[in-house]
Amino acid sequence: MSEQNNDIPVYLFTGFLESGKTRFIQETLEDKRFNKGEKTLLLVCEAGVEEYEPGSFSGKNVYIREVTEQAELTMDNLDKWQKETGSERVVVEYNGMWMLDVLYTAMPESWVVYQEFMFADAATFLTYNANMRQLTYDKLKSCELVVFNRFKPDMDRMPYHKIVRGASRRSDIAYEYDANKVEYDDIEDPLPFDLEAPVIDIKDEDYAVWYRDLSDTPKNYEGKTVRFKCRLLTRKKLPSKTFIAGRHVMTCCVQDIQFAALVVQWDEASTIVNDSWVILTGQVHFKFNIAYGKKGPVLTYLGAEACEVPENPVATFY
Amino acid sequence: MTKIDIFSGFLGAGKTTLIRKLIKEAYAGQKIVLIENEFGEIAIDGGFLKDAGVEITEMNSGCICCTLVGDFKAALEQVIKTYAPDRVIIEPSGVGKLSDVARAVSAVADKAEIGAKVTVVDANKCKMYIRNFGEFFNDQVKNADVIVLSRTGDVGEDKTAAAAAMLKELNGDAVIITTPWDKLAGAQFTAAMEHRSTLAAALAELAEEHHHDDDDDDDECECHEHEHDHEHDHEHEHEHEHEHHHHHHADEVFTSWGSETPKKFSEAELKTILTALDDTGKYGLILRAKGMVDASDGEWLYFDYVPGEINIRRGSPIVTGRFCVIGSKIDEGALKELFNIE
Repeated sequence: MSEQNNDIPVYLFTGFLESGKTRFIQETLEDKRFNKGEKTLLLVCEAGVEEYEPGSFSGKNVYIREVTEQAELTMDNLDKWQKETGSERVVVEYNGMWMLDVLYTAMPESWVVYQEFMFADAATFLTYNANMRQLTYDKLKSCELVVFNRFKPDMDRMPYHKIVRGASRRSDIAYEYDANKVEYDDIEDPLPFDLEAPVIDIKDEDYAVWYRDLSDTPKNYEGKTVRFKCRLLTRKKLPSKTFIAGRHVMTCCVQDIQFAALVVQWDEASTIVNDSWVILTGQVHFKFNIAYGKKGPVLTYLGAEACEVPENPVATFY
Repeated sequence: MTKIDIFSGFLGAGKTTLIRKLIKEAYAGQKIVLIENEFGEIAIDGGFLKDAGVEITEMNSGCICCTLVGDFKAALEQVIKTYAPDRVIIEPSGVGKLSDVARAVSAVADKAEIGAKVTVVDANKCKMYIRNFGEFFNDQVKNADVIVLSRTGDVGEDKTAAAAAMLKELNGDAVIITTPWDKLAGAQFTAAMEHRSTLAAALAELAEEHHHDDDDDDDECECHEHEHDHEHDHEHEHEHEHEHHHHHHADEVFTSWGSETPKKFSEAELKTILTALDDTGKYGLILRAKGMVDASDGEWLYFDYVPGEINIRRGSPIVTGRFCVIGSKIDEGALKELFNIE
C-alpha cells in the first residue's frame, strides 16, 4: 500500500451485541503499534455494556462519533465527519443488526476497507446464527478474520467452522478461550470433488460448493472438464450458439435463492429443450462472454444426457 | 374455541422457560399445540411435552428476512383443524415483529380466539436492546398485552425498576411482570394475560369496596380515573374516564389513582408512608388505600388504609407491586414521590 495515496483506510469490526467488539477496539487503540497518534475517526454504531475509555488510548487523536440510526449513515455525513476531524483513517464498530450494504453504499470513494474482523460470543453464536442467518452470513462473507471468543474447552469447533466456511473459504478463524489462549482454525476443507480428475464429477449435493469455488477461483478450472446435473435454459437475449446451464442455490433462506448458472457454447445450442434437466459435460474456459459482460467461466459443450429432476431442485451449502 | 397465545421476545430472553412453566402449572389438562418459529438453545423437552399432551409444530423460517407470510394462516388453520386444541401457543422468531405475528394470527379470528400477546424481556439487557435493536424490539414491547421481565431475581431491585420504567415508557398499557418467576405460580401469569390481574382491575376492586363500605346509595361506584387512561378494549366493565361523583358528599369529587412498582418496602417504610397519607394538606383527602408490595424478605406486604387506621399483613407474591388510592383532590405527584415511583 503506497504511502502517498489518498485512501482513507477503514478498519471495520462487526458482530452482534456483547461479542467483544468494544473491548477489542479499545485494546487496539491502546496499542502503540496501531495508534501512534494518527487522527482517527471512531464510528460507534452500537452502545453496549462496555464503554470506551479514551483516556487510555495510546494516541490522543481519536474522535468518537456515535451513530444511533442507520439513516445517519449517508455519504454526506461520513465525508463530513472525516473531513471536519481531519481524520486520516476510520475505525468502525458496526451495529450487529444492520446489513453491511448500508455502510458500504454510504462510504465515500476514498474510504477503503483495509481490514474487516467479525467477533462472536461462542456461547450464543450458534443460536443467533440459526435464527438470524441472514445477518451472520452478511458479516461472514466478507470478513478476513472471525474471532469466536469465550470459547470453552468442551465446545466442538466443527459447527462453528462449518458455518464460517459456508459463507467464505478465505477467512481465518480464531477461537479465543481466554486472553492468553487463542487458537487458529486448522481444520482443512478438502473440496468434495477431485480437481485433478480427467472429468471432475460434481455430486448433486455439492453443486453450491462447486459453483462458489468456480466463481472464486475460475482460473483453477481453466481447460478442465466437469460433469454436473443442471437445468438448461434458452434465452432470446443470449448470443447465438449459447445457452445457460445452472441450478437454483439457496444461501440462507428462501428469500435469497438465486439461479447460479454458466454460459455454455455449443454449435447446436438451438436444439436444446428449455427447462430440461440433464447431466452436462463440458470444458471450462475463463474468458470474456457478452452474457457475463466480463470474463467468466464459459463452458464448451461436450455432451449431455437427460435425467430426472433431483429430489431437491434447489442446491444448498449442506 | 381454540385460544391462541403469542410469546415473543429476543433470543435468550427466556420464552421457552416461561412457556414450559405455564404448560406445567397453568395449562395442565388442556390440549395444546406449540408452534415454534425459533431455533432455540434449550430444546423443548419432548418427553415432558408429550406427557403433557402437547403437539409441537415447527415453522422453518428461522431468519429475519422470512417473516410470516400468507402460508402462516394456512398452517395455523391446518393445526386447528387437525388437532382441535384448546390452546395454540406460538413462539415466533426472536427477531420477528410481534405486530406481524399478531396480524397473521388475527387472520384466523373466525376459527380461534386471540388470547394474550406476551413479550419476554431480559431485565439485564433491556436497556441495551432498546438502544441498539431499534424497530423489531420496540415492536415486540409496544404490541404486548403483558411484558414479562426475566432474571429480575439476579439483577436486583434498581435495575428491575429501571427496566420496568423504560418498558412502561414504550408501552403504558401492558402489565409489566417484575416478580422473579420462581416466586409466582403459572396461574398468576395467566391472570395477568387474561386481564384479571391488572392495575385497572385493582382500581375497580378498590372502587367497588369503597362503594360497599361507605355508600348506601345505589349509585355506580366503579368509576375511576387512573394513570392508564388509555382505551382498553378489554376492560369494558370498568372503562370510565370521567370522575366519580359520590352521592354522599355531593360537593366532593372522588378519583382513584394507582401505580405499579417492582420496588421493595420494609414494613416500617410502608407504615411511614401510610401514616403520611393522613396529611390531607399534602396528598389530598385519601379515603382508602390498598395494595401489595414486595417486602424484600421473600414475602409480600398486603396493606389497607383508611384515615387513622393502617392494616399491614403478610402474603404471597403477586406479579408486580401494585397499589391504589381513592379520595378527593388527591395529588398524584406528591403520592408518586411518597411511594418513590418514577
